[in-house]
Amino acid sequence: MAVTILIPAPLRRFTNEQASVQVEAGTVAEALAALDAEYPGIRDRICEPDGRLRRFVSVFVNGRDVRSLEGLETPLRDGDEVGIIPAMAGGQ
Amino acid sequence: MIRLPRTCYEAIIEHARREAPFECCGLLAGKRDRVERVYPITNRADQAADLFAERGLMPRAGADPATLPAERYFMDPEELFRALREIEAQALDHLANYHSHPATPARPSRTDIEFAAYWPHVYHLICSLADPDQPDLRAFRIVDGQVTEIPIVVEDE
Ligand SMILES: [Zn+2]
Repeated sequence: MAVTILIPAPLRRFTNEQASVQVEAGTVAEALAALDAEYPGIRDRICEPDGRLRRFVSVFVNGRDVRSLEGLETPLRDGDEVGIIPAMAGGQ
Repeated sequence: MIRLPRTCYEAIIEHARREAPFECCGLLAGKRDRVERVYPITNRADQAADLFAERGLMPRAGADPATLPAERYFMDPEELFRALREIEAQALDHLANYHSHPATPARPSRTDIEFAAYWPHVYHLICSLADPDQPDLRAFRIVDGQVTEIPIVVEDE
């Protein structure tokens, strides 16, 4: 499946400042692996060493948080958009 | 310097007052140093206890997650994603994040500084309601843990 990965501004230094990257993938995990093959190191910013999604990162398929879908195993269809954003959080 | 139209300045303070005693949060978009739009985002800190606990940033050990939004904010991820897409679609830049400190001064907390590490390229605005009659809105750059205050110029349109 040809899918588009939308790269958030804080991670664009890994992608030569490109805001989106096209990859072939059948699941979110495969999409992140393909992204990392092209731009080594970026997946470590998104996933823990054991492969789980980092808690402060959210990944979306067509705007839906994959935590409410099937996580990194969420299947992808042709033309899907995979989004990534680090948490925006803080306190007083 | 960050230039803030008065309507945006008032929208941030209004948002902070509406959510108090909980923290409000949102994004500011515009061009160069001038804000044009305010995007309020829902504070889901009550669902992010694990995120804060993982970094030792819970306000108290065993704090009730339902009360976390009074001392922490965590922007709803789907809303945040939609807002960032909308900002791009409007050909604006994401210039800043904002949140409120319902009861403490407008200075970045340890929690703010730690999470700002992921967003070094945007300003961080904090609206303090410590004196409810005198809201205090301030802007900061937070890069590599270093905090620099940036002047806010409120512009009358
Ligand atoms: Zn704060």
